Amino acid sequence: MSESARKKQRFSPERELERTPNTDARILPSTPFRRATSAGPTPGSNRTPVFRTPGTERTPRGGPATRPLPSRRVAPTTPHAIRALRERANAARTPGINRRRSGRVQRETPRDILRDLSKALARNTRPVEPSPQVLPQRTRHSALDLPDIDDGPHLAAPRLSMPLENMYDDDDSFHSAPPRQSLLPDLPDDVDGGTVQSLEFGRRAISEDPRFMFGGRHSERFGDFSELGAVEEEFEIDGTFINRRADRLLDDAIGDALDDDDTTTQMRALTGRRDGRQSDVDLGVFGDGEDDTEDPTFRFLIPERIRAPAREESQEELEKQEEQDEEDPDDEPPILPDDDADLTDDDEQDDDEQDDETAALNRSDLPGANDMLGWESDPPLDDDAELAAYREEASALDRSLQTPLRPASAQQTPIKKAKVFRVSEHGISFPSFPAAPVKKLALGFLKARGGKNARLDKAALEALVNTTNDFFEQISGDLAVYAHHGGRKVIEEKDVIALMKRFVPSHPIPFTIQMCKLTC
Amino acid sequence: MAQTLYPRGTVKKIVKAHSNRALSTNVDILIYLNYALFMQELINEATIKSKQSGERGISAKSIKKISENTLRKYKG
Repeated sequence: MSESARKKQRFSPERELERTPNTDARILPSTPFRRATSAGPTPGSNRTPVFRTPGTERTPRGGPATRPLPSRRVAPTTPHAIRALRERANAARTPGINRRRSGRVQRETPRDILRDLSKALARNTRPVEPSPQVLPQRTRHSALDLPDIDDGPHLAAPRLSMPLENMYDDDDSFHSAPPRQSLLPDLPDDVDGGTVQSLEFGRRAISEDPRFMFGGRHSERFGDFSELGAVEEEFEIDGTFINRRADRLLDDAIGDALDDDDTTTQMRALTGRRDGRQSDVDLGVFGDGEDDTEDPTFRFLIPERIRAPAREESQEELEKQEEQDEEDPDDEPPILPDDDADLTDDDEQDDDEQDDETAALNRSDLPGANDMLGWESDPPLDDDAELAAYREEASALDRSLQTPLRPASAQQTPIKKAKVFRVSEHGISFPSFPAAPVKKLALGFLKARGGKNARLDKAALEALVNTTNDFFEQISGDLAVYAHHGGRKVIEEKDVIALMKRFVPSHPIPFTIQMCKLTC
Repeated sequence: MAQTLYPRGTVKKIVKAHSNRALSTNVDILIYLNYALFMQELINEATIKSKQSGERGISAKSIKKISENTLRKYKG
């Protein structure tokens, strides 16, 4: 702004000297001859000619006649004039609409200065190139923008060898989880297994029991063998179902029948379930007495033939060969009484009836006996021959139901023998070395050798036990010879030490042990 | 009563039956120690054998194979 003011001051003398160069002339403020009224006041005059009457003044200063000669113009001296002049010059250089707005500073913004500068510099400058090489263009996909794996240091080369000890150990593999027994663990008798042992099998509703379809069979089992302790178990297995033994239910129901009440079959089933038995007094104390084998409350007993293989599993392999040698005939399952009962049923029927009556009378004073309801069939019709024949059939059918039980329990009972005695060459019987310590010892050595989850299958354990028995046989003979050699009748410690000194290793013995061997 | 390491009475019975002689008080312990050494040797040999034949774990077959040799080593 100050610069332009100085320029302005310089013009007029130059112009007056008629040496005006072309460049300066271009910037010169040139007032058009005919100015519009809106163009503002004429330079050099404070008053607009509009408000003057032409006649009153001598010469209208702003009039068209007086205007023409630039030479007449005097350089403005007052700051107002200078400023106005300069503004007009600026306005002359502004294009378009802005030309008329005289009051504006159009070209003097810093932005314009910078633009001028940029235009002046544009010819000489080039776009800046960074001194290091520009990184290669990344791929656009964001998934590929991950840091390069190859950039890192080289990975350690994988070992191509395997630790020999752990070659077969796959601890991390969930496939190798040992199978769990789905059967129950062997619980000692004093453990309160009230909930553990209540294994649920598929139950068949008593009203749907196929054996109930034969109505005539009811009276056949009047002999209450279970009351006498002759029946071996309370439940029997029919396919996948466990049924409560029908005869017990029937006995209960027949006991109700003596009370001469009416009921439906469902009620009978309920009473069979609800009927308290004679051992109700010691409820909760299981297995107190010898005769208290039946549980006081209703719970499912797991039948022996299912439980027994799980319990005797470890012993089974051990004693298999001994079993083959000595199979005792007296190890027959105690099912026989039931069978006999079936055979001699007709003979004993009167006695059975009486037994049942007494049992029913005994039971009638128990709680809940009075609301138990009657029984349609009446026992006294036994004399009918046809009915007896029908009962014979039914009993045959019942035997056919029971037959699958027998071979299973016959297989199971010899397993229960805890120890099998052998006879040595001196005629002295001796027990086999038990498998449990052998297994413990062997597993301990296996684990010490490195196998973390070492396992011994049954056959290997059996082989180990056999080897153990052989070892004891051998060492006993040797010890006997040593004791005999020493003139003793008793095997002493020095015999064993002498035996151990005879040990011939397959690998060289370390020196210290050799010295020990020599000295002691 | 804690569980014993091995059935002492059984060992005594077995040795007595085979040797037809009485045992002094603590011989059975030494015998059991010897048996433990034997068992270790047996397991070692069986492991080597089963590794050689490419079995997983030790099997009854490998035990039977090496048991005679190991028994012979412990023969007095």
